[in-house]
Amino acid sequence: MALFAQLLANGLGNGSFYALLGLGFGLIFATTRIVHFAYGPVYAISAYAAWLGGASLGLPLALSVALAPMAAAAAGAAIYWFGYRPFERRGMASHSVLILSLGLSIILESLLTLIFGPSIHAWPDFSPAIFIFGPVFVTSLQIAETVTLALVAGALLLFLRGTRYGKAILALSDNRDMARIVGIDTERVSLIVFALASGISAVAAVFTLLNEGATPTMGFYPVFVAFVVAVVGGLGSIPGSIAGGYLVGLVESLGLWKIPTEWQNSIAFVLLFLVLLVRPQGLFVGARR
Amino acid sequence: MELVLHIAVMVCIYAILATSFNLLIGFAGLFAFGHAVFYALGAYATALTAIRLHLPFPLPLIVSVVVTGVVGLAVALPSLRIAGIYLVITTLALQVITIDVIINWTSLTGGPTGISDVPPIILFGETLSGPARFLPLAAVSALFCFLIARHVGGSPFGRALRAMRENESAAASVGKNIFYLKVSAFGMAAALASVAGSLFAYYLSYVGADSFQVSETVLILSMVVVGGTGNLVGSVLGAAFLVVLPEALAFVDLPEGTAGQLRLLIYGCVLVLFLVFRPEGLLREPRRRGPHGVGGKDAVTAAMQVATSAGGNVVLEGIGLQKRFGGIIAIDALDIRLERGRITGLVGPNGAGKTTAFNVLTGFLRADDGEIRYKGKSLRNLRPHELVRAGIARSFQDLRLFTGMSVLENVLVALPRQGGDRLLMLFLRPLLVRREDHANAGKAMAILDFIGLQERAYDLAGDLSYAEEKLLVVARLIATEADVLLFDEPLSGLDATAMQKIIELLRRLAQSSKTVCIIEHNLEAIRTACDHLVYLDEGRVLAQGDPNALMRDPELMRRYFQ
Repeated sequence: MALFAQLLANGLGNGSFYALLGLGFGLIFATTRIVHFAYGPVYAISAYAAWLGGASLGLPLALSVALAPMAAAAAGAAIYWFGYRPFERRGMASHSVLILSLGLSIILESLLTLIFGPSIHAWPDFSPAIFIFGPVFVTSLQIAETVTLALVAGALLLFLRGTRYGKAILALSDNRDMARIVGIDTERVSLIVFALASGISAVAAVFTLLNEGATPTMGFYPVFVAFVVAVVGGLGSIPGSIAGGYLVGLVESLGLWKIPTEWQNSIAFVLLFLVLLVRPQGLFVGARR
Repeated sequence: MELVLHIAVMVCIYAILATSFNLLIGFAGLFAFGHAVFYALGAYATALTAIRLHLPFPLPLIVSVVVTGVVGLAVALPSLRIAGIYLVITTLALQVITIDVIINWTSLTGGPTGISDVPPIILFGETLSGPARFLPLAAVSALFCFLIARHVGGSPFGRALRAMRENESAAASVGKNIFYLKVSAFGMAAALASVAGSLFAYYLSYVGADSFQVSETVLILSMVVVGGTGNLVGSVLGAAFLVVLPEALAFVDLPEGTAGQLRLLIYGCVLVLFLVFRPEGLLREPRRRGPHGVGGKDAVTAAMQVATSAGGNVVLEGIGLQKRFGGIIAIDALDIRLERGRITGLVGPNGAGKTTAFNVLTGFLRADDGEIRYKGKSLRNLRPHELVRAGIARSFQDLRLFTGMSVLENVLVALPRQGGDRLLMLFLRPLLVRREDHANAGKAMAILDFIGLQERAYDLAGDLSYAEEKLLVVARLIATEADVLLFDEPLSGLDATAMQKIIELLRRLAQSSKTVCIIEHNLEAIRTACDHLVYLDEGRVLAQGDPNALMRDPELMRRYFQ
């Protein structure tokens, strides 16, 4: 029982982390229909930005952490503007854009390796505080993950529902062509979505930096998880992404109760198969409308 | 010299992988991102059977092909339910799971250390170790696989795959079995890729998980894209290009450890540069004309021939058909009878349920209630392609032509009873298939002649004018040789001349005893074209009878123009 409680706590922590990843990826796909594989390297770039702030410039933690979303937003926006947008203008098939995103992600990842080397860049002397609730250990990072997710998701919802650009984003995710016809500048809105979603992914990247340190390939697994989470939750649904994140986090963590650790990576993907088998449109789609 | 030969062997292996992957994404349009899985299966199956069971060459190779082919069939199953981005993520997931299984199932695969000491091939008393001795076998295998891929790609089966790529529902509407096409495309591509895996295991005498990661699938994909999707020679060139290019780095002095990264960077840059500056790849998809055929008039007569009549004049009958979408009732207790030799017009305001009626009658939607009788026999649970083969075919309001194929091929692919549609026949009776395809090309040409599109036979369907596209839709439907032809808005958007031409064609179809039904909005066109009118409103038949009589009914006209 103690083990179960501990796994549940871990699962909630991981679930928050996955939900953050899924939110960004899902938002991009919902509004632009782009499968953004370069989400992975952008995630890594943001972690390196925070690391540079702390280790090279000697900034305090709070300030360097703020560099991460800024770097990610800039990188994400640049990728859209100089990478995907010209393709969209030329009316290229969606699979060409998909392959482009793979190509970009290979380039960025190898550039990161060439610049920083393959070794781990960890945050100097950081160790999270540990709280003990009865039989369960919880780190300050796990708590922070859950709290940040709530803050980010809340802010995102307020932004989407309450502002002009937010509503434009929702309109695009509903029907891109119709949005263009009623005079929404789809390119500018897409640019904002890329910046925003990359910024959200950077929040998750900071947690990875503090937990494990930054590596050039650190975004590889997260982009897959984000993809899985967004599909499992239902592409384009914000509550769906959050629910999908927790579902994947909990199943992965609770799975360890019975399944050996080395299979942890596969659990999420098996879950994906099962969900697509039962409900190809995702579990929580329709929850928004 | 040793290095050059080694590169040549690797080019052969990747040429096999790229051509087989091209069959899947370039021909069938199935974006499955797990090709390295098949590569891995081939390699491990060969290593294990050669080491543990001491099987001599070529038995391990055969085991690899069979095992991987079967797995390929299984991988096809998700692609039947899902498409596009969902297929991408599912196959990527399969790729990740495969690597996990390889790494964790240590007792079988050796885990992270892999399997070493695969015994070399001994052929004619010669031990094939080292690049020089291995190259001939690799080259022969690559050539053999290429020829198989080309044979399949250029066959009626390959044509059906491309039709499916262009538009899946349209391919079903001309009688192609989508299930069969997808499953065999996956099986075929997997089996070919396993040959590359088997060669790899023998050549390096080692297999390890690192060679089959996601990045490997991306590399093979890059080769296909760089070479040109849909062009098999291109895939060979793409493989050669991407294998040779990074090797050039060996001649440049590089700091320790950066060579691997630079190689990846080069792959990425080449891929992106091609996408930007030459998206069609080194070689563009060949303009496949289909075999040359000169058709006589009797070929058209044959196509227009109606199967022996049975069950009187009513050929197709829907009784009490109902279809709901959620709370909306699209058609409700619909009774419709289509008779031989006449043109029935289906009219009614938007949302009356006309297209839904077509969808139900042709198996694209399953009715919630009611019965469909064809020549007196009840039809139940038949899929669209089975109904086409039984004799009921339809066109689509939005045309759904195979735009990336030639005009002739659009018609050719729709002809029934093609032995070459089946993969097995391609290998068992290649000559028969070829003869049949030539005869069919003649038939298709005759149909185009009849329609008046023979001059454009070798142009891409995507380059036709709108009126010509509409004509091609009629030609494609005639080619199915179905008795009952359902046209969804064949006249919309046409000028008077083109409209007259199509009405004449429809008349001639009816005269040769076909059962014709059209959905149409233009009342003047209906008056000239139709023998019988069925007026649909809110999913029910409101009135039916002689077109002129119905059009004089003020109540109906009021509802129509409301």
